[in-house]
Amino acid sequence: MALKNIKLAVIFIFCLLMAAHTSVQAEEKGATAKQVVDKFQTELIAVMKNGKQLGYAGRYDKLYDPVSNSHDLTKIARIVIGKEWEKLSEAQQQKLVDVFVRLSVSSYAHNFKDYSGESFVFDSEEETTRGGVVVHSHLIIPDDKPVKFDYMLKEKGDSWRIINIIANGVSDLALKRSEYTTILQREGFDALIAKINEKIDNYSKL
Amino acid sequence: MIKLYCGNRNTNIQKIVSGMVMGASIFLGGCATTEVAKPQETENKADPYEHFNRTMFTFNDHLDDYVAKPISDGYRWITPQFLQTGVYNFFNNLKDINVVINDVLQAKFAQSAHDTGRLAVNTTMGLAGFVDVASNVGLEKNEEDFEQTLAVWGVPRGSYLVLPLLGPSTMRGIPGSIFDTAANPSSYVGMPVQLVSMLNARASAEGSLKFIDEAALDPYVFTRESFLQWRNNLAKDGKAESSLDVDNLEDELLATDKAAPSKPGLPGIANTGTPPGFTLRLDEESKEFKQVSNSFSSVSQSFDTTSKSFEEATRKLDKLKKSKKLRKHR
Repeated sequence: MALKNIKLAVIFIFCLLMAAHTSVQAEEKGATAKQVVDKFQTELIAVMKNGKQLGYAGRYDKLYDPVSNSHDLTKIARIVIGKEWEKLSEAQQQKLVDVFVRLSVSSYAHNFKDYSGESFVFDSEEETTRGGVVVHSHLIIPDDKPVKFDYMLKEKGDSWRIINIIANGVSDLALKRSEYTTILQREGFDALIAKINEKIDNYSKL
Repeated sequence: MIKLYCGNRNTNIQKIVSGMVMGASIFLGGCATTEVAKPQETENKADPYEHFNRTMFTFNDHLDDYVAKPISDGYRWITPQFLQTGVYNFFNNLKDINVVINDVLQAKFAQSAHDTGRLAVNTTMGLAGFVDVASNVGLEKNEEDFEQTLAVWGVPRGSYLVLPLLGPSTMRGIPGSIFDTAANPSSYVGMPVQLVSMLNARASAEGSLKFIDEAALDPYVFTRESFLQWRNNLAKDGKAESSLDVDNLEDELLATDKAAPSKPGLPGIANTGTPPGFTLRLDEESKEFKQVSNSFSSVSQSFDTTSKSFEEATRKLDKLKKSKKLRKHR
């Protein structure tokens, strides 16, 4: 009898855990824009805290999922290339997205390498006219001026993804777009890929 | 407790952001990897003189590599950090004079009181500006200059320009920096002080320039875009609507999805179909300019009407007087 009770209890606990697990998954899927940004910032700060022990490769591995899950990197790559996208072959498009993902993660791994008391603070959230959401936040740096970080998010499937980061009024997307389109027009696709690879290489060495 | 801001001590994030925002602006904005401009230029509304600008950018860059950077590195190596910070703070404090003047010119009176307080505290308690006491007391520095004042007054930005030695600027930036130089006391104190001022400027830009060097695929374009965005954001006091550009860019994306690449003509930024971020801002600026001029004209109109009504009133008074005189005569 006691054994049966224990069995029941075990099954009950198992079911409970399963339920909890699925609810966590549901939360992840239906995360609001603010939650997506929050989660990403928390993960970034966590990596910064262990930055020195992790080293570049460690930070890259730790940041790969957080960056690619919170950003819509495929869309960013497309917007950054603009009209040139259509002129690329499918293989080229895929190659560009691959390289772009690696560049994004490696620039995070390179630039957020250590921790000296920084913290992100949420300010406000606003909806744009076309169904996007802008999450306004700022990064507090001890002994320095705070830096404004505005995240522009769009809905992708049932979750929100970052498609632009505006730091102190400078839009990353606009900046990259000008650069990439200029290089594509002046020097062509292969030169662009070569330059991106060179940057990734430098990030891993510095 | 001393406020530190110099290149060496900057955190990485500070480097990133300051790299985006100020690297371009300070003395000899340049960096190590630049190609010589090729004949085929990408047309950009904000940058019609790209060919000249690229040449100037390369020139400044080489000058920076061979002259300014070595000297600045020597300065940073030889000077203790606290002294570098002190020098940085000293010149920054002098700049606060410009900030106060431009606050007033932009009719930001509360902010001008704040900045006057900063100037007073730092000049006295901060030992002639060497220590930034004010920031520690919560009087944070505001960034204002005459170029921003001109923007507030409705003067359009004009084309992007890279000036020899001085680096990135715009048409509006030239009178801006002439005025600011004239209004800054450090411009009048002879060579050694100015030399230190230049060293300080180059040294504190070190982190930013290094960031551009690391992050930029095309340093010229990177510098131009970040400079223009940064200036635009400053002129609008951090309220620049850069979020809008995403929607615009996305529209363009959707348009290409639907219409296929049948559109000939200049691809990318130069295309006039749907203007991306910058041109949008240009339009906004020109709109603002119109609005300002409208408001000016409405002010002058109201002046006209008041003066007319005064005239009418005097005429009526005259009439009254005349009629009184007439009555007296009778």
